[in-house]
Amino acid sequence: MKEKILSKHFVLENFYKIDVYLQKKGYQAVKKALNEKTPENILEEVKAANLRGRGGAGFPAGVKWSFVPQQVDKPKYLCVNADEGEPGTFKDRYIMSHDPHLLLEGIIITSYCVGIHTAFIYIRGEYEAVALRLEKAISEAYKNGFLGKNILESGFDLDVYVHRGAGAYICGEETALLESLEGKRGNPRLKPPFPASIGLFQSPTVINNVETLSNIPSIILKGAKWFCKKGLPEDGGTRIFGVSGMVKKPGIYELSIGTNLKDIIFKHAKGMAEGKKLKAVIPGGLSAPILKADEIDIKMDFDSLVNANSMLGSAAIVVIDEDTSILDVLKVVTRFYSHESCGQCTPCRIGSSWINKIVRRICDGKGKNGDIDNIIRLASNILGNTLCPLGDAAAMPILAIIKKFREEIESYVSN
Amino acid sequence: MINIFIDDKPFKVKEGTTVLKAAEEAGIAIPHLCFHSAFPPEGSCRMCLVEIEGLPKLELACSTQVREGMKVSTRSEKVIEARKGVLEFLLAEHPPDCPICDKAGECKLQDYYEEYGLFDNRFRESKEKKQKNVKIGKSLILDQERCILCTRCVRFLRDITKTRELGVFNRGLHSEINTYNGEPVNNNYSGNLAEICPVGAITDSDFRFKTRNWFLKEGESICPLCSRGCNIYIESHKGFARFPVPKRVYRIKSRENHEVNGFWICDLGRYGYSYLDEGRLDKICVNNGKGNLTWQECVVSLTDEIKKLHSAKKASRIALILNLWLSNEELFLIKKIFVDDLGVKNIYFVDSSGGETDDFLLTSERCPNKRGAQEIGYDLKPLDSENLMNKTDLLLIFGMPAYDPNNLAEIKALFENVKTKIYFSSHSDELCSLADIVLPTALIPEKEGSLTNVDGIVQKFLQVLEAPGECRPEWEVFVDLGRELGININYYKQFNTPEVVLKEMRKEISFFENKSE
Repeated sequence: MKEKILSKHFVLENFYKIDVYLQKKGYQAVKKALNEKTPENILEEVKAANLRGRGGAGFPAGVKWSFVPQQVDKPKYLCVNADEGEPGTFKDRYIMSHDPHLLLEGIIITSYCVGIHTAFIYIRGEYEAVALRLEKAISEAYKNGFLGKNILESGFDLDVYVHRGAGAYICGEETALLESLEGKRGNPRLKPPFPASIGLFQSPTVINNVETLSNIPSIILKGAKWFCKKGLPEDGGTRIFGVSGMVKKPGIYELSIGTNLKDIIFKHAKGMAEGKKLKAVIPGGLSAPILKADEIDIKMDFDSLVNANSMLGSAAIVVIDEDTSILDVLKVVTRFYSHESCGQCTPCRIGSSWINKIVRRICDGKGKNGDIDNIIRLASNILGNTLCPLGDAAAMPILAIIKKFREEIESYVSN
Repeated sequence: MINIFIDDKPFKVKEGTTVLKAAEEAGIAIPHLCFHSAFPPEGSCRMCLVEIEGLPKLELACSTQVREGMKVSTRSEKVIEARKGVLEFLLAEHPPDCPICDKAGECKLQDYYEEYGLFDNRFRESKEKKQKNVKIGKSLILDQERCILCTRCVRFLRDITKTRELGVFNRGLHSEINTYNGEPVNNNYSGNLAEICPVGAITDSDFRFKTRNWFLKEGESICPLCSRGCNIYIESHKGFARFPVPKRVYRIKSRENHEVNGFWICDLGRYGYSYLDEGRLDKICVNNGKGNLTWQECVVSLTDEIKKLHSAKKASRIALILNLWLSNEELFLIKKIFVDDLGVKNIYFVDSSGGETDDFLLTSERCPNKRGAQEIGYDLKPLDSENLMNKTDLLLIFGMPAYDPNNLAEIKALFENVKTKIYFSSHSDELCSLADIVLPTALIPEKEGSLTNVDGIVQKFLQVLEAPGECRPEWEVFVDLGRELGININYYKQFNTPEVVLKEMRKEISFFENKSE
């Protein structure tokens, strides 16, 4: 792809500093949005761009914004989900550390569009250095008049705060994020009401992923049509694919939405490391159902992966080679979700740990007949029956791994 | 009203209500553990999942609002499977403690397993070990292994008492309820926690290991310990031989009434029930040397005494000291006989000033019927013995349960000054040996009647316990007395139950006219 939207400046030195950013025509999008466009114009543009959420669920950003009631006597809030916790995912970290002002531009334009005057960046606790860099960028933006009162003489005010999480995967779930931001235990909320009407501090709230918001400046500068062309008509723009695992060149690759998974692994990431054979790929973060080696000739967009019974999720690609035992993969998956279940609802709390206990036992060589069917039964009882998507995120990969690698797992049980 | 279908049957239900409530009103029970009507839906136990036509997933009955034309299945295969699944999860980590668990018999988890579970144990792993005996409050014991994390206790302390002593700690399977830094649950409503706990996780040391709940007989009553008149259940049985004192009442529970106490009762009312069994007076005592008397003989002797004074125009030498534990009907009958028929003016009330209010249910008046006495027309004068000295020949005094008059010396001095002292008492106390005749009376749960609470709500109560020994309810005694006196014989003849008395009160006193019960 010739021109990147998000990562084109990642290679530039000191690009996170506002001086460098401004030299490279930074904050043009904010200027254009605030000086030339009305909030309605912006909303139309973003809707037309078919920008789908980059956090995992892929909900169209413009539609999400339009759910926020126009006339309310409460403040409205923007929460930036920077709690990048999905295993395998490391794209937002790059944006925030290499191009924090791009995110800030996205935040400013989004806030202006929705009528928000306070935005919070909820960043995972482990990203301490990134949080410090963000705070630095925010203070620079204040000094240069891009944040604070009367931004660029437009009469629009906005304050941005960085809030660090404390290391819980569940706080990346949008309503748990809100609870945590309010200073409470990060448990998901029952929906409805949805955050767009009752969110942070009982007020209308927009919650968007870092990558989603970072696309906004280009949409403003170059238009929805241009953006759509970058990806697919119904799924505009690019994705930052985070490739990890047994490839020669792991890392982030910003590519058009719809790029073939095979190409990502074998062209961009230069193929399998140490000449090993490919065994399986997790295409969208740990909770995405696994794909076997013969299933990777597939376009990487939301709909194509759904049709293949998997999901694009956070576009984090985990590549597994022939030397990796699938039981180890299953162990990592079950251990992660049982450790990260918040414990609020029954199926997730007990189901995920029950499965983990069985898998651990199989790993210890104490597998019994019926264990695999039991895991399938338990995972099916979690699926669709939990309070938040974490239960599904735990059950889907387990079911997929067992379905596609049953023979191999059975060999561990009988041995 | 809107139309919905539950299990293929049409129902008209209130708009804005939830599927769970609508089904409940239609007589269809949907199992639930974390949901409690006092709180907003929590949605965490996942027991109440139902199938709604047109929706891909099962939905929560507790939080889903009804819509016109909605078709709900509460017993489809998918629903039953999900219910079984949730139960299996809950029971997997739940200790099989039932034989030694106080909740057994009234445990929702047990009930639902009977109804929807009955599967073999497929959990072959080791259960989590947690603390089984955490003292979290005055009389509350938490068993973290039994806890199913419905968080009713946490929400009660957050939403109702706003004291927030309990929280959920740790995450996932290690989640547990506990206090913050060991600071115990310390409020006057703590006992409700054991009651709302759907399983045996929070038990009450007041009840723990004393009996089994299936032996208990549940009787509806009114708490008399303050003027709120909270609705309660009194749970009793004939007692076990291992208790030296015959004990009937084992537990007081709250009874839902949204006009009065909602779902709750205070700890004072919950734990202050020992007076029902302890220190009771169950025999007539005659201290004036007239030998053993029956109730009938006592009433006759009292009638003679009154008649003598009345015919000698000395009714003013009769004095009464009443209390505010007497029912509306009793206070009414006393007023009819002594004030209206005999013209007695010296009527006083024993001290009823109690304690502090907690600004929720507990009032400062530690007696159940002050408002009733006021509405009937008493002016609630406190005892003024100076006014009675040398002017009184007959004194009728009504003691309250565990009556400990702070003006005992004053009453004793008065006793020495008065010729005939009749003491009505449910308990045996110091005054029993000083009065001429002591008549044992029934307590509120041992009789029928009504009380008027602080807000003017008239509440009927029924007999739920047998009156011990010779104890009789006062209303019966006064009907007898009214008839014996013969001043207005036909009037008193009609009163064969307190209900008839209340009916008469409705005719005569406008306050009671429009009061339902």
